Amino acid sequence: MKQMIALLGAIALASSAFAAAEVGKPAPDFTGTDINGKTVNLSDYKGKIVVLESYNQDCPYCHNQFRSGAMQELQKEMTAKGVVWLMVNSVNPHNSSHRTPEEARAEWKDQKLNATAWIDDSSGKIGHLYAMKTTPHMFVIDKNGVLVYDGAIDDQPDPDHNPREAHNYVRAAIDQITSGEKVTVSQTKPYGCAVKYGG
Amino acid sequence: MRTLRTSLVLLGFLLWASAAQAAHTQAQLVLANTTARPGDTVLAGVHLKMESGWHTYWKNPGDAGMATKIKWELPPGVTNGDTEWPLPQKLPPEEVTTYGYENEVVLLVPLKLASDLKPGPLTLKAKVSWLECKEQCIPASAEVQATLDVGNETKTSPDAALLNLWMSKTPQTNNLFSFHARWEKSTDSDNRTLIIEGTQTAADIIPIEKADFFPDASDQLDIQGATEKVDSKNGFALRKTIKKLSGDWPSRISGVVVIEGNNQRWGFELNEPIASLGTSSTPAVAPESPTPSSSSAQPTQPLWKMLLYAFVGGLILNIMPCVLPVIALKILGFVGEARNAPGRVRLLGLVYTLGVLLSFIALAAIVIGIKSAGHRAGWGMQFGDPRFVAGLTILVVLVALNLFGVFEVNLGGRAMSAAGELASKHGFAGAFFNGVLATILATPCTAPFLSIALGFAFSQQAAIILLIFLSVGVGLALPYLVLSFQPSWLKWLPKPGAWMEKFKMFMGFPMLATAIWLFTLVSGGTDKSTTLWFGLFLIALATGVWLWGEFVQRGSARRGLAATASITLIAGVGLYALTRGSDQIQWQPWSQTAVAQAQAQGHPVLVDFTADWCLTCQVNKKVAIEVPSVRAKLKQIGSVNLVGDYTRLPDNITAELNHYSRAGVPLVLVFPGKTDAAPEVLPEVLTPGVVIAALDQAAK
Repeated sequence: MKQMIALLGAIALASSAFAAAEVGKPAPDFTGTDINGKTVNLSDYKGKIVVLESYNQDCPYCHNQFRSGAMQELQKEMTAKGVVWLMVNSVNPHNSSHRTPEEARAEWKDQKLNATAWIDDSSGKIGHLYAMKTTPHMFVIDKNGVLVYDGAIDDQPDPDHNPREAHNYVRAAIDQITSGEKVTVSQTKPYGCAVKYGG
Repeated sequence: MRTLRTSLVLLGFLLWASAAQAAHTQAQLVLANTTARPGDTVLAGVHLKMESGWHTYWKNPGDAGMATKIKWELPPGVTNGDTEWPLPQKLPPEEVTTYGYENEVVLLVPLKLASDLKPGPLTLKAKVSWLECKEQCIPASAEVQATLDVGNETKTSPDAALLNLWMSKTPQTNNLFSFHARWEKSTDSDNRTLIIEGTQTAADIIPIEKADFFPDASDQLDIQGATEKVDSKNGFALRKTIKKLSGDWPSRISGVVVIEGNNQRWGFELNEPIASLGTSSTPAVAPESPTPSSSSAQPTQPLWKMLLYAFVGGLILNIMPCVLPVIALKILGFVGEARNAPGRVRLLGLVYTLGVLLSFIALAAIVIGIKSAGHRAGWGMQFGDPRFVAGLTILVVLVALNLFGVFEVNLGGRAMSAAGELASKHGFAGAFFNGVLATILATPCTAPFLSIALGFAFSQQAAIILLIFLSVGVGLALPYLVLSFQPSWLKWLPKPGAWMEKFKMFMGFPMLATAIWLFTLVSGGTDKSTTLWFGLFLIALATGVWLWGEFVQRGSARRGLAATASITLIAGVGLYALTRGSDQIQWQPWSQTAVAQAQAQGHPVLVDFTADWCLTCQVNKKVAIEVPSVRAKLKQIGSVNLVGDYTRLPDNITAELNHYSRAGVPLVLVFPGKTDAAPEVLPEVLTPGVVIAALDQAAK
């Protein structure tokens, strides 16, 4: 009997550990370290809108959002409104696109990034928790901690469009929740390069 | 000068060559023939060679990546067919499933030569663009070309063997398995598991060691890469987890079944209906032809309930002020007169009933006639259509105002007096025309009620319209029929009096409640500003109608002024509300004439052929047409927007679809605003960007 309970407990634990992010449900909490060594807890931001962005500047789809400055502008606009913007870099340390904290800080300056923080997720823990598939892959969490958007950054799945002319799903979702509306497009197919998780 | 040009060309070539060098993939165009005859089909291949460790993608790249694109630049007389994709590999890592090719691949394309092609050398060109990935991803492209001699014989090229080898790696049309697909269970609203089973039609043709399913690309579904094998005899069974991103659950699944065994790999095309949740493993064969959904978007009332309402409505008509005093006295007269001959009275009662019923059948026939004429004219008389519901709301508000006595409804006096004359005759003819008269004479009171019955009936089939009208008639005739059989019950009949007027006014309130219900239906289908302006228009309408009733119908002085004021108020606010509230796209029914007319007037035209059963159409409309950016663009370029409803497969739309080589909907066309200018045919799956770009082009 005891073994049975232990087994059930283990199953419950295992399944809660694998409770993946799902639109309409509370976003799973995580703890990470940013490139300045600061600890970041998702739960610290309860009461604020949080954006998660899976990021890899070497990916042409990501780079396309940044080279024109469009993504930096969006980050600036949103953080000015009180939105918390967390970039999550899950590239594994053996990949040539991996960034050490020093390299990341240099890239932050060089690319004039305006996010709230860049989380070093080279273990892939947060990436797997949210089932981040591509770079970019965007998530929007509302003030109550509920995941309200999961998907692509915009409606043009190619690496050479003008991001300012595309329909940006993240902006649309944030605009809708700030004006008290329901997010109409809450899930899309993310596009981009595969996240370079470690084997 | 010539040297300068040569060196520029050379420089360009060097730059291009170096760009191609930087890529980790080399592209080349190969042909199965060196020489071909006019009318032949020549197999072409885009040969991609990837450096070790690099890969490019399949037509469905999977969770990441991009399908390789081939853009042909062919001389006149040469047309390309669809690309045939050899069976791809499922690429690591496991958590992000992608489908692609390592080392090399040849993408195959049949090129058809016109039969009137002139002999001589042809240069065939294509721009190939791809995404290549190893640790990183790089987008790259190349211009490829090959030469083909058009002559009077067919000569095979040395590359034919390579092309045939890769052709043998493309998925084959399935003739070995009987496939079927069914939903197994749903874990929550957005996730389901799908079971795909295959049984070999003859035992053990292929040794199945591994089986997998590579789906076709979809924007609405995320078909997870992981596959579980489920035991199955003489075949295979797979379980796939499917996440729905948008839209409805699909009714079909298509892709490639991949079988491995004996160190070989086969691909079989699969395109199967999905059996619904809860059905057993026997395949539920979905109908091949799309089933048109029911015409009304509202939950329809059961028929008996509608008929009951109609019957009660008919009964109530009896005590309306216009019916009770006039008709009651006449009928009661003949009932009283013939007290001595009860048999004759019964017969008279029956004839009267017949008169009422025939009048209602005539009314129903008119409604059915208008409806079928309207259907041909393409009116969308359905509860799903906000214009129809808005019209009904206006009608019900008018009826309420009429019941409150704000204005009167008058029927032409001549018809009434003619009916009155006929009715004054004695005997059977008199009784019959009394029935007709009861119906006609009652119009000032019945018209409002009947118009509503008519409005609701419009969304129904002819037989139901007839039944509804007959029920009203039965309700109207029944009390007198009963009285003619039981004259002693006359004492139960209420006496006409001032109470009737009060009762009429009282009936206005349930009418207002109906108006509110209809109003919520209208506002549910539109945005806030449209709702507000529609509400304000109803108030203006009420005010205008009051002016009409008070100063035109009942007033004596300055009736012309009052009439002008009333009409100006209603029309003015109506037009203003239309422009203010028209945030929604103003759709009009499609016809070729409508397109030609709009073009002649210089308006670009957006045509959306759609159907209730067409999922892609609904998704297109929701994500790429009825969106603020496209609405704004349509308004800006002053386009005329036409919708063609293919739900019931009308022939004229079938012809139009065939004209654009489409077997069905969706088909979205954007015509420039010039007479006879050809449209841009938009792709089947739309994004706002695509639509806006086409509209911009058309407005140039």
